[in-house]
Amino acid sequence: MSKPTDLVQGTLDLLVLKMLALEPMNGWAIGQRLKQLSADVLQVSDGSLYPALHKLEQEGWVTAEWRQSENNRRAKFYSLTRAGRKQLQVETGNWDRLASAISALVRLQEV
Amino acid sequence: MTIDRWLRIVPLRFRSLFRRNDVERELDEELQYHVERQTEENIRQGMSPDAARAAALRALGGIEYRKEQVRDTRGTRWIEELGGDVRFALRSLRRSRGFASTVILTLALGIGVNTAMFTLLRGTLLRPLPNRDGERLVYLRQSAPAAQHTNVLFSVPEIADYRAASKTLSAMAEYSNVMPFTLVGDDGAPVRISTAVISGNYFDVVGLEPVLGRLTGVRDDGPAAAPVAVLSHQFWMDHFGGDRRIVGHTVRLNDRLATVVGVLEPAPQYPVRTDVYVNTVTSPHHLSATMVTERTHRMSEVLARLAPNVTVEQARLELDRIASNMFRDHPEAYEKAAHFEIAVSTLRDAENERASLMFWLLMGAAAFVLLIACANVANLTLMRGVGREREMLVRAALGAGRVRLRRLLIVENLTLALLGGAVGLLVAVAGLRLLVAFAAQFSPRANEIRVDGIVLAVGLVTSIGAAVVLSFVPRIGGERALTMPLAPAGRRTTLGRGRQRVQRSLVVAQIALCMVLLTGAGLLVRTLAKLGAVDTGVRADHVLTMEFPIQGDVLREIMKQPENLARYERMRDRIAALPGVDIASVATGVPLRPSMMDLEIKAEGRALAPNEPTPHAAFRTVDPKYFAATGIPLLAGRGFQATDRRGTPLVAIVSQSFARQLFGDQDPVGRRIAPTGDVLKVTPFTGDWRTVVGVVGDTRDRGLENGLTPTIYEPFAQEFIVNGALVVRTTADPAVLQPMIARAIHEIAPRQLIEHVATVEQIRDEAVAPRRLNAMFIAAFGTLAFVIAMVGIAGVLAFSVASRTAEIGIRMSLGADAPRVRRMVLGEGGALLAAGVAIGLMGALLTTRVLHSLLFGITPHDPATLGAVGVVLAAVGVAACWVPAARAARVDPAVALRAE
Repeated sequence: MSKPTDLVQGTLDLLVLKMLALEPMNGWAIGQRLKQLSADVLQVSDGSLYPALHKLEQEGWVTAEWRQSENNRRAKFYSLTRAGRKQLQVETGNWDRLASAISALVRLQEV
Repeated sequence: MTIDRWLRIVPLRFRSLFRRNDVERELDEELQYHVERQTEENIRQGMSPDAARAAALRALGGIEYRKEQVRDTRGTRWIEELGGDVRFALRSLRRSRGFASTVILTLALGIGVNTAMFTLLRGTLLRPLPNRDGERLVYLRQSAPAAQHTNVLFSVPEIADYRAASKTLSAMAEYSNVMPFTLVGDDGAPVRISTAVISGNYFDVVGLEPVLGRLTGVRDDGPAAAPVAVLSHQFWMDHFGGDRRIVGHTVRLNDRLATVVGVLEPAPQYPVRTDVYVNTVTSPHHLSATMVTERTHRMSEVLARLAPNVTVEQARLELDRIASNMFRDHPEAYEKAAHFEIAVSTLRDAENERASLMFWLLMGAAAFVLLIACANVANLTLMRGVGREREMLVRAALGAGRVRLRRLLIVENLTLALLGGAVGLLVAVAGLRLLVAFAAQFSPRANEIRVDGIVLAVGLVTSIGAAVVLSFVPRIGGERALTMPLAPAGRRTTLGRGRQRVQRSLVVAQIALCMVLLTGAGLLVRTLAKLGAVDTGVRADHVLTMEFPIQGDVLREIMKQPENLARYERMRDRIAALPGVDIASVATGVPLRPSMMDLEIKAEGRALAPNEPTPHAAFRTVDPKYFAATGIPLLAGRGFQATDRRGTPLVAIVSQSFARQLFGDQDPVGRRIAPTGDVLKVTPFTGDWRTVVGVVGDTRDRGLENGLTPTIYEPFAQEFIVNGALVVRTTADPAVLQPMIARAIHEIAPRQLIEHVATVEQIRDEAVAPRRLNAMFIAAFGTLAFVIAMVGIAGVLAFSVASRTAEIGIRMSLGADAPRVRRMVLGEGGALLAAGVAIGLMGALLTTRVLHSLLFGITPHDPATLGAVGVVLAAVGVAACWVPAARAARVDPAVALRAE
């Protein structure tokens, strides 16, 4: 069975928070949107999205409500809370630092 | 974490717990929605419907698996699983009943004893006083230590001086409980009651409220007020049956009619247990001229309230200063050599003074017992834990994590400890009555002892604490141990070296603690024996005593000396004529009970050495037959005679120790002595010279442990009679004679009060009874610990033998015979015993010092007691080891080795 995410540890939370910062969405839509936006580079397994979403909800970063979806069925829509918005900033900052550190390292000239 | 987040998280957790079905349904719906949308999407991309759905499910990676993952995010799983754990624990304990019941009983004893002791401690020492602002109340005590007066009380002029000069005390109240009072209610039968004459502000100062009617106020002070009485709650319940109509009724107190105006709320009574509080006008004596003006006429206790922002220390300094001014201004009232001084303590400290040491000691003993109980249960758990190591491995192999296993153990132990705690609580509640009776000897607050929420909470916390400690004793094994392959025959039954050491140390600790407790008990028991052997100076068997006091307004009544003497002599003579009575004697007091009066005495031609306080002695008047009736030996001179009456020369007899104090080695007979001091102004006795005609043996009237009581005796017929007491030497059983004697007295004086009926044996026993209770308490603790420790050492050896069966088999097949094997096992136990006794000996030497004040005739390091306890402990210990040793010796090598 696949691990929750093949991504760098913790980045799935960041991606989900970012998706929800754009607009409230249901789980399935988040998965679709991730694939589209990353041009299929980021392969997030559908299944690992849900534990991640529930964890974020239990942590109070996102909140959920049942709404009609685009095809007129009830779906659970997630949206960012105020605390979640702050958390997104924190994690974005972390990610930037990590990414720039890694890219600086891999660009070192070999002698 | 922000409040905002908590407001979201908390309801979610609650929802997960209490609306579990909803949450699960929603989770299902959410995942179903995902599958449907993905299926549609797949169909849109050209898959057949079935394949599309299968692909969607595959992409999700197993719905049930994802659900489990989601459930893990809720953080409430442990609660959901708790029920299962408890059921499992109960099932597993039911399978090992012997283990479970031993553990529950052991813990019940430990927790029960602790709960009981804590209840005692909380009811008396720890709870704040019920008085309003009780922490601000102080108790003043005036003493003259160099003259052995620990509390001389205060006189009216003294209190007036303190009141005028003190700025650290905002209010002072007077409380005088020294006059005998009899109360006659509607039924006409007199009862002797403990009565306090109080200043009107008393209740206001001590901060107490009425439950009925009113209390006294300043308007009740002075000679013009109407006599009023306030009943204590206890007396109201006991004597008037809690009748609410009592308020407004009049009762006769001595010869005054007083109106009952109210009933006081239940409150600890200090310094003396009191039935009725009256204002000064009710006690004519308290308004008499000497009482009001005489500085040495000391009859009152003083309770006071600290002024705002004043500490006890500040009050102490100020009162010390006021007192030294007073001693300087009135040298005649404060004999220099007596070293008068004033002490200030909080009322709370004063009330707890006697109880403190004893109760903390018992609490310590209780904690000891709990410690031993826990050590033993830990051992049992340890042994069980070894047997279960395989079980743990199997569980780990099936996917239980370390945390989960630890939790399983905690739940099991919690179940045990809580059951033990519940049983223990029942034990404590059952023993409450006994506890209160015991505590009443030491603390005026014993009737406040009850099991309340805090006590229950402490019991609960103790149980949980014990469970947690026990849960970390058995090994679950590190990660490595848990991933070890299960050996096919992997049934390990031995402990690792470290664990063995822990187990053995626990046994040694038990024996050591036991040694300490038993030594304490032994010292107290030896103290009892020493006290039992004390010569009181009074014959013990077949001597019956009782008091039949002067009634009415005592001070006026005692002036009627001829009538009183005639009445008492008639009663005595009638009693002497009863069959079964050998000798009947009348006196002012009963032997071995403290004398009502203690007077300063001077001797003719004898000057006081510098710094020598005036000698003082118990003052008793007795009739000629008193010494024969009590068995007090006449050592020199003559006894009293029928001719020593009013109008004949005044004579006296002194006790041997007092004769020595006054006259050294000179012959006292023929010398002259006289009462002296300011106190004579307030007694009916004269300071005229009396000729010493005899010397008698000493008695111990102030308790068996308190040395001889210097005493001066004078003829009953020659002095004023302040009290009546009867001493009867019988040939018949005193219990049979008692009603006949009472009848004889009532034939002469139908309303005569008879009290304190007791044989000399009983009086002696009263003095020892509290100590016996103490000794029994500590001995019970010690015995409990002893039994637990012996079970402990036998258990450890049995376990050791069981796990070494194979080894023993090999030894025996190599030629070791049964006695040798037995010696080996006994040696193992003996080493533990020896270590325990040795450590316990050191512990006892260190700790029994706190018992010092409870001992008599022996030192806390009494070698005989230490030796005896050590030998008993070792002997019983070896006997306990014999059972497993014998089992080891019976091992059949062939069987043992085949089993391997």
